Amino acid sequence: MKNTVKKYGIILSIAMCIIIIYVCTLLGVASISFWDANKILLDQIFHIDLGMENISDGAIAIIWNVRLPRIILAFITGGVLAICGAAYQGIFKNPMADPYILGVSSGAALGATVGIVMNFSSSLFGMNGTAILAFVGSFTTILVVYNISRVGRKVPVATLLLSGIAIGQTISAIMYLLMIFNQEEMTQIMFWIMGSLNGKGWDQVLTVLPYVLIGGVIMLTSVRELDIMLLGEETATQLGVDTERLKKKILITSSLLTAAVVSVTGIIGFVGLVVPHIVRLVTGPKHRVLIPFSLLFGGAFLILCDTLARTVAGQEIPVGIITAAFGGPFFVYLLRKRKQGGV
Amino acid sequence: MERLMPKVMLDFKDVVSGYGEKDILQGFNATICQGEFVGLIGPNGTGKSTLLKCLSGLLPVKSGVITLEEKDNTSYSQRERAQMIAVVPQSFDIDYDFTVEDIVLMGRNPYLSYRTRESQNDYHIVTEAMRATKTLPFRKRLYNNLSGGEKQRVIIARAIAQEPDIILLDEPTSALDIHHQIEVMELIRNLNLKKSMTVVAVLHDINLAARYCNRLILMKDGKAIVDGIPKDVITEVNLKKVYEMKMFIKENKLFGKPEIIPLRVIKESEDYRSLRIHVICGGNRASQVLEELEAMGHQLTAGVVNQGSDDWTICDVLGIPMIEESPFTAISSEKQEENLAVMAKSDLILISDLPFGHGNITNLNGLEKLPGAIYFHRNCQNNDFTNGQLQKRLEAIKKHKTIHEIDDHQEFIEMVKALTLIEDK
Repeated sequence: MKNTVKKYGIILSIAMCIIIIYVCTLLGVASISFWDANKILLDQIFHIDLGMENISDGAIAIIWNVRLPRIILAFITGGVLAICGAAYQGIFKNPMADPYILGVSSGAALGATVGIVMNFSSSLFGMNGTAILAFVGSFTTILVVYNISRVGRKVPVATLLLSGIAIGQTISAIMYLLMIFNQEEMTQIMFWIMGSLNGKGWDQVLTVLPYVLIGGVIMLTSVRELDIMLLGEETATQLGVDTERLKKKILITSSLLTAAVVSVTGIIGFVGLVVPHIVRLVTGPKHRVLIPFSLLFGGAFLILCDTLARTVAGQEIPVGIITAAFGGPFFVYLLRKRKQGGV
Repeated sequence: MERLMPKVMLDFKDVVSGYGEKDILQGFNATICQGEFVGLIGPNGTGKSTLLKCLSGLLPVKSGVITLEEKDNTSYSQRERAQMIAVVPQSFDIDYDFTVEDIVLMGRNPYLSYRTRESQNDYHIVTEAMRATKTLPFRKRLYNNLSGGEKQRVIIARAIAQEPDIILLDEPTSALDIHHQIEVMELIRNLNLKKSMTVVAVLHDINLAARYCNRLILMKDGKAIVDGIPKDVITEVNLKKVYEMKMFIKENKLFGKPEIIPLRVIKESEDYRSLRIHVICGGNRASQVLEELEAMGHQLTAGVVNQGSDDWTICDVLGIPMIEESPFTAISSEKQEENLAVMAKSDLILISDLPFGHGNITNLNGLEKLPGAIYFHRNCQNNDFTNGQLQKRLEAIKKHKTIHEIDDHQEFIEMVKALTLIEDK
């Protein structure tokens, strides 16, 4: 009985995501009629021609090369941030953990700032120079944070979180210093930091996709151990979990995943924090269910936020602002709920 | 139950361990065989829980060796160890909404790889574990909504689902009420007897330990100082070495096990002038008054008491000099002469609440000649089996001196306190 509900739940959620992707592809500033947009999609995806003569190449390009890849990238980014958030909240046993908690975002921001300031323009594997530097920056940060907090073979969670914050702050300081000395690039850097999916195409989708697939599979192989980790590290050890190995595995996977999407989209906050919490309220804490649903809901959430970001005002708003606008109040709600629960 | 060569499950050789620089375990030695139910007892901070942590792989051993089923404990992976050892902590809370079944199913983790999902067989084992602990009826309920006793049973079910050879318990009952304490201990004993699981339990409640364990290890300063069957370990001599307090131990007739009755840790805060007080006792009601008077620092004597009575036991424990008579024997005139000689030196004489019969009425012979003041508990008259002799005796004494009558022992204590309290400057 419960299993059928679960199965229906996942099918319904997938259907919902497809509908959201479809509807949001139809929405946009450029005035392309409902029918034209549908015709373009049918022609491009299923090669069904319902009369493409009256449709301009520009319209086709907007639907197929601008809106759709951007929406899919939004889905992937949102999904990745949400599953990384869910996994971090699991291994750190801390509801305030998000994918950026170990300084990934600061590292990426510093890398991107350097890239923008130096006008680093070569590209590799479909990533431009800024993205590559952001990736390098975030991954280096994780390595530093990890090695600072490592005591022998063990990595105590509290030390890890604290050194994440400390290193993150230090790196941010360097980034602000760079910004002060390069004031003409400041706006560009600010926009990057706030996160945006503007101008992203199929190239970027293909860049992040392999990480997401591999990372997602690795996450799914750890679901039972992540559940047990929620009982605390000592208990998990006594139930046969190699907690240090699990932490390492999740840390490396999550930071690779996060670094990959952040380097492409910039820092989009709150998705990774808020979505796992909402999903957990519905599905319960078991990661076998939590991770797939977080992926779907995180993806859907970011598509909706991004659609707002590109349609609501006359100009593009960084999507990070929209997610924060939703995430902030929710965070407050969470805090209040915890206070009442007396946790 | 006969085993010619019991299999050695655990062997501790000069184990030293602790946190940081501080060594808690300081050379612990013991060998534990299959099917034993071992209780670790001793005061706080002597390394009982530390020992369990070393065993379950949470804490490294600084020196010495723990051998688990013939191999060095450090040579096992967490997974392998979890297939042999299950741990039941003192109490266990989680912040997340797992159902009872989810929690018990986690016990199967040591047998599952990241690729395999729980099989039919795993679910069968889990169901049986829940049946054995009577947690099956609420397997779909949330763990967090259970009571303390139910939670502990769920954790024991999880331990059973682990199918371990050894089960470690770290004060499994200290957060439970008396009903659930017994329930949990009986559950563990069943595992020990029916599945011949080896049990090592840290227990604070010595009486519980004596009752359920077939072997006790008394620990002090990170070492085992006494190791043996409960009757040999639970003795005043042993316990006084580790617990700094007054206590007395008697045999619990119901279980045939020793039982400890703790008396007092904190000394009387006031200073009292010491009096010589003789208590005529021999029943089972004078224990408290004897203990309190002793704690105040008075020089007590008692008599004539029959050996083996409760009052005799307490005098024996407290080291109060007594005039003794063999059990169930009428008090002889020689003993009463001795008694009178002692009483002649006493400042106060208390005839405590005790039944009088033909056997012990002699206790009151000759009291009229004594210099000390006599106090008499009125309740004696309600337990008078002497056909009026008690009344006659009292009247005979009253002809020569006053008998102060009291309604309870506390009245006597208050009177003595008022009489002997030394005021601060």
